[in-house]
Amino acid sequence: MITCEQLSRRFRGPDREIAALDNVSFSIERGEFAVIKGASGSGKSTLLLALGGMQRPTQGRVVLDGQEVYALAPDARNRLRAQSIGFVFQLFHLVPYLNVRENVVAGLPDGAHRADAQRRTDALLESLGLSARARHLPGTLSAGERQRTALARALVKQPAVILADEPTGNLDPANAAEVFQHLDAFRRNGGTVVVVTHGDDAARFAQRTLRLDAGRLIDSGTPTSTPS
Amino acid sequence: MNTLRLILRELRHHRLNALLSLAGLTGAVALLVIIQMTTTAAARETRRVMRDLGFNLRIIPKATDMDHFWAHGFSDQTMPADTVTRLAAQQGIFVTFNHLTPALEGRLALGDREFLLTGVGDSVVGPGEAKQPMGFKIARGHVYLGSTVAQHLKAKRGSTLPLKTRDFNVERVLAESGTEEDVRIFTSLADAQELLGHPGRINEIKAIDCLCLTADKDPLAQLRAALEKALPEAKVLQLRTMADARARQRQMTERYARFAVPVVLIVAAVWLGLLAWLNVRDRQAEVGLWRALGHGSTRIAGLFLGKALLLGIAGALVGYAIGTTVALRYGAELFQVTAKSLAAEPSLLLWALVLAPGFSAVASLLPALQAVTQDPAESLRAD
Repeated sequence: MITCEQLSRRFRGPDREIAALDNVSFSIERGEFAVIKGASGSGKSTLLLALGGMQRPTQGRVVLDGQEVYALAPDARNRLRAQSIGFVFQLFHLVPYLNVRENVVAGLPDGAHRADAQRRTDALLESLGLSARARHLPGTLSAGERQRTALARALVKQPAVILADEPTGNLDPANAAEVFQHLDAFRRNGGTVVVVTHGDDAARFAQRTLRLDAGRLIDSGTPTSTPS
Repeated sequence: MNTLRLILRELRHHRLNALLSLAGLTGAVALLVIIQMTTTAAARETRRVMRDLGFNLRIIPKATDMDHFWAHGFSDQTMPADTVTRLAAQQGIFVTFNHLTPALEGRLALGDREFLLTGVGDSVVGPGEAKQPMGFKIARGHVYLGSTVAQHLKAKRGSTLPLKTRDFNVERVLAESGTEEDVRIFTSLADAQELLGHPGRINEIKAIDCLCLTADKDPLAQLRAALEKALPEAKVLQLRTMADARARQRQMTERYARFAVPVVLIVAAVWLGLLAWLNVRDRQAEVGLWRALGHGSTRIAGLFLGKALLLGIAGALVGYAIGTTVALRYGAELFQVTAKSLAAEPSLLLWALVLAPGFSAVASLLPALQAVTQDPAESLRAD
């Protein structure tokens, strides 16, 4: 499903080059719930963005569903993101001038079937407990509601994979658990989930835990069929 | 969700930025409309004032004895009366000369004194110009009297003046001007030709130079070159002081527009560019998000440039309305002579509707490019 081969990403620092990712290789299978752990600055977010086609690696390659992400033309890579990848961020990143429903619809790729999109949006708002807030702007929502809206936006396109960057970093334990439960439900329906986090709150949903330290993969984990 | 809807929602959300941008565009359009309307009015005013100053060119036969001319005030030579129509028929002559007015001047004895008699024919103006005569338009059998003449003859309006064998009606007594006009008797050209014994002849074509001539390019040389080509048997004299006054007045109006227009455009461009840049900076995370959702550069640039175009259209409409209102309200006080001709110029609205959105888009181009090229990973870290 997702394969990283010798992935490196270096940034130019003020006095020397910094390796955010250093020769990272691993594979994640379809339907897997993988957690990438590491301390702040270990390269987790860079790795996630690189997997999502948003951070071109200095070297190495990313293959998603058989397509080499960075070998694709920009338009094709945009299409791949629009159709196959759902992002969830710690800071939610909702469009502030669109209401909850519109934020969810914004996650649909261009040309999505209108009636299907409507039905899926309604179902997601219902299942995530957001129906009553559908016309509210993000500024009026609680943190939990914002993250559930962001989750709905990622799920509405029925992606192959959800890449979540510290999705519960700004949530209380109850809301955090709810978010992981929804991600796990997506996984149980055949989706692939990659979560980067520095905490342990995803541990009970993870089938596999990879560990990063200073940009290097120090533990690629052992896949298990059931969550640990 | 389509781009237009997103832009409208964003405009409503970031009201202050939108209002400040709109204010900048509106102000620029309004100022440009005011400048254009008042410049046009000023040009009209200049033309009127300059025309009221009178003719500043005298075209006389080349063989004129200049000692006689300056001593007596008229040429001792004559030319056919149709010279003026011949001159007017020359291609491009109205680029340098205008208000071509044939005249015949000479001395006429009246009792124990001699007066200057001036017969004035119909003016010929350039194509498309209002045919308002610059000099007098006097019907046959009528005279205008200079103030000194009228005083000496004890003539007043409506009295009869015998000239040679005919009686003329004094149609008007001119106010004292302090010039040689005070000692002149004005008649129609035909009457003067009869009274002075030169039927079908004139000895001068009075004219006015074109406002397009500039002092720095030696207008007299241009006038002489044009006349030499069109009418080699004549020469032209220019009343330099009057001509220079005309040129200076026109150049002042042009300089005012040349200074004001770029200043308005530069200030507006900086203002809009700055606001667009702030908008891009505020929306850095949003730009990253659109990238994450799979939107390409065209869509993202469209969000910013589309917004600039919409604001440009709104700014053109509001700016035109405000500019026109202000120009009509206060322009009349500035340009009292041509106040009545100060009118709304609908063509400016069309120009504004084309140029303001384009200008707004150009001013927002760099910030839009910044949005398109920024690193999405960096954008998503911003909040």
